[in-house]
Amino acid sequence: MTKRIVINPVTRISGFMEIDATIDNNMVVDVKTEGLLFRGFEKMLMGRNPFDAVYFTQRICGICSTAHSVASTLALEAAMGIVPTEQGRYLRDILHGCEFLQNHIRHFYQYTIPDFVMLPDKYPLYATDHNDFRLPKDKNDKISTHYFESLDISRGAHEMLAVLGGKAPHNHGVFVGGISTQATTDKIIKIKSILHTIQQFIIEKMIPDAYTIAQYYSDYYKIGGGHGNLLSFGCFNGYNELGTLYVNPLVYSQGKVNVFNPDEITEEIDYSWYQGKKDEYKPMDIVTEEDMDKSQAYSWVKAPRYCGVPYEVGPIARQWLSGGYKNGISTMDRTIARVLEAKKITEIMNVLLENLIPGLSIQKEYVIPDSSQGAGLIDTTRGALGHWLKINDQKLSFYQIITPSAWNLSSRGNDNLKGTAEQALLGTTIENLDNPVELGRIIRSFDPCVSCATHVYSKSGECINSIQVQP
Amino acid sequence: MSMKHNCPEYSARLHTASDLFSKVKNEIRNGTLAKKNLVWLELTGCSGNIISLLDGANPDFKYLISQMTEFVYDNSLMVAEGEAAMDKLMSIIGNDYILAVEGAVATKNNGLYNIIGRWKGEPVTALKAIKMLGEKASHVVALGACATHGGVSAAKPNPAECVSVQSVLNRKVIKLPGCPCHPDWFLGTLAHILLYGEPELDSRDRPLLFYSTLIHDRCPRRSFFDKGIFAKKLGESTCMFKLGCRGPVTRIDCSTRKWNQYVNWPIEDDTPCIGCAQFGFPDQMEPFITYNTTRGVKE
Repeated sequence: MTKRIVINPVTRISGFMEIDATIDNNMVVDVKTEGLLFRGFEKMLMGRNPFDAVYFTQRICGICSTAHSVASTLALEAAMGIVPTEQGRYLRDILHGCEFLQNHIRHFYQYTIPDFVMLPDKYPLYATDHNDFRLPKDKNDKISTHYFESLDISRGAHEMLAVLGGKAPHNHGVFVGGISTQATTDKIIKIKSILHTIQQFIIEKMIPDAYTIAQYYSDYYKIGGGHGNLLSFGCFNGYNELGTLYVNPLVYSQGKVNVFNPDEITEEIDYSWYQGKKDEYKPMDIVTEEDMDKSQAYSWVKAPRYCGVPYEVGPIARQWLSGGYKNGISTMDRTIARVLEAKKITEIMNVLLENLIPGLSIQKEYVIPDSSQGAGLIDTTRGALGHWLKINDQKLSFYQIITPSAWNLSSRGNDNLKGTAEQALLGTTIENLDNPVELGRIIRSFDPCVSCATHVYSKSGECINSIQVQP
Repeated sequence: MSMKHNCPEYSARLHTASDLFSKVKNEIRNGTLAKKNLVWLELTGCSGNIISLLDGANPDFKYLISQMTEFVYDNSLMVAEGEAAMDKLMSIIGNDYILAVEGAVATKNNGLYNIIGRWKGEPVTALKAIKMLGEKASHVVALGACATHGGVSAAKPNPAECVSVQSVLNRKVIKLPGCPCHPDWFLGTLAHILLYGEPELDSRDRPLLFYSTLIHDRCPRRSFFDKGIFAKKLGESTCMFKLGCRGPVTRIDCSTRKWNQYVNWPIEDDTPCIGCAQFGFPDQMEPFITYNTTRGVKE
């Protein structure tokens, strides 16, 4: 007898999504992940001043706004033929690093921890809906204390970002050529000081907390695998003097690491609420139109593909491809990879800070070309982010965005192959059908950002009971 | 303390939020103030205002949930998920609660462009949620550009047909525009509601406490404007009016309050104000950055 489990809202993610799973004998035999928010940024950007993309696209996402400012800036620089100075790159990457830390700390403590650790139940926000809490009281309470301590630490990451970026979320600093302002010595030492506190917290608390949870939930090393294909556009890499501090553009599939080739990226739309001249296209080809009447479509998250195959992106992909953490690909491995990456980012930021020349002015008076095009591909907190733009008559005439969460929460490809997160959920054994806690834990290990996967819609008017037995 | 904030002084501004908080704290300690329920709805937007709230310091998020309010619901932070989460949200109706809303309201296809959960099997759209919860709240505080006037979610050509919270509610909505809303603007407004009731609002329902004065009027670079010394590119220390600065039309206190534990703000970062705290952002504030132009001032 099959049952259907629908979870909506999936809380403790950024944005709105639904998990729709079919269960047979306590096992997930079919599943769909659907985002539930559509705004249509690519259409909004038409006709706007190209520079405005840097600030405008940040509004795609409140938790990873800096990522979009970096990708749009890279795309603009490519279109304008501008090569930023090394100092400009260091500064921009320092701001990007601040956002990695803000994200990873908040994702681990505010979004992930409550799946495994009981928080003080005197607060209504922390009322639980399951009882699979396995930590002994002393360990549970210690991590619960760290949940609250972490709020100061992640706030500090945004404070660092604001020191050179003006404010956060939605910074002003990241711009063509590097950043807007000069890094004077007082600002550099302020950032170094905050970074030191953050680094200590990550080493002394965040990483041990992740391993404590892993010890009591070791079964999560065995579930939530996915397709096992990994991709990174690269980040903190290819500096003239410093070389690669983290990861180069690489892909991993079937035991082999290869160099990433941007020409192999496509999007497929047979199973998403879109229509276009083609149902498979390259990022610079077309921007699709909404079509809610497509019979087999079930989501507005499209299906990004590399060489026609779904790939996973994010900390685990970067750790694997850079030769860092390579224990495996699973729910728990994603979380471990994320906290280890947080430490790595603090080390990279320290190197960049130590190589800054204080007080350097890097901005110029830029001219928008009459017509041009460019792509900005960069790995951000949640994985590979791409912005593709065209300029015509000095205005934006085309904009395409493929977000990390579109890769991970992709709908099925035109070949009916499931997206990575769907594949990760498939085959999972649900211990208690009334409290299918496994599904949320697996999905959260991807750190979904549905605000970013903007191309999303839900089946109109369909009525599904939260758990219903199908005929 | 004085209730008049038409022309507040610099130092008073810096401490308004923390002053109000210590007052709230004392009242709660003395047992003269009961904690009210707070519901935080994320609708059609980027969820950046809840992230900005986490950036609040003195008061911070922990103080908000432990000392100021019973924080009942927020999609990003609550532990429960699915039906259990929606039960919690719906069970507040009939009780006394303050509603904080971020994000616009998508109206296309009867609101189906943004679904925030399922309740009793039915999809709950942003439109349905705000109508259900908005009319019955003791106070509704719309925070961020999208909730207050549509913001970026409603930017041309507005594909999801987004509208402000006010346009679907037939009641007073306190408006805290900004992209995002500064944590002090929200927490200060909330403290005022808890202590004294609704704060003094301007004709567009913005608290005068924060929104009374143009950025331009208190801009540290004002003297450059007055002398006609204008920056030609970002990164210069003079007036950025000719780069597109919207400080002359934007009523908010960024220039004295600053952001992220008061370390910086856009103009000190050598970039123009883009008018994110003013009605009409983004469409009426663009282009954000232009080189070598001369524009007239208008509000």
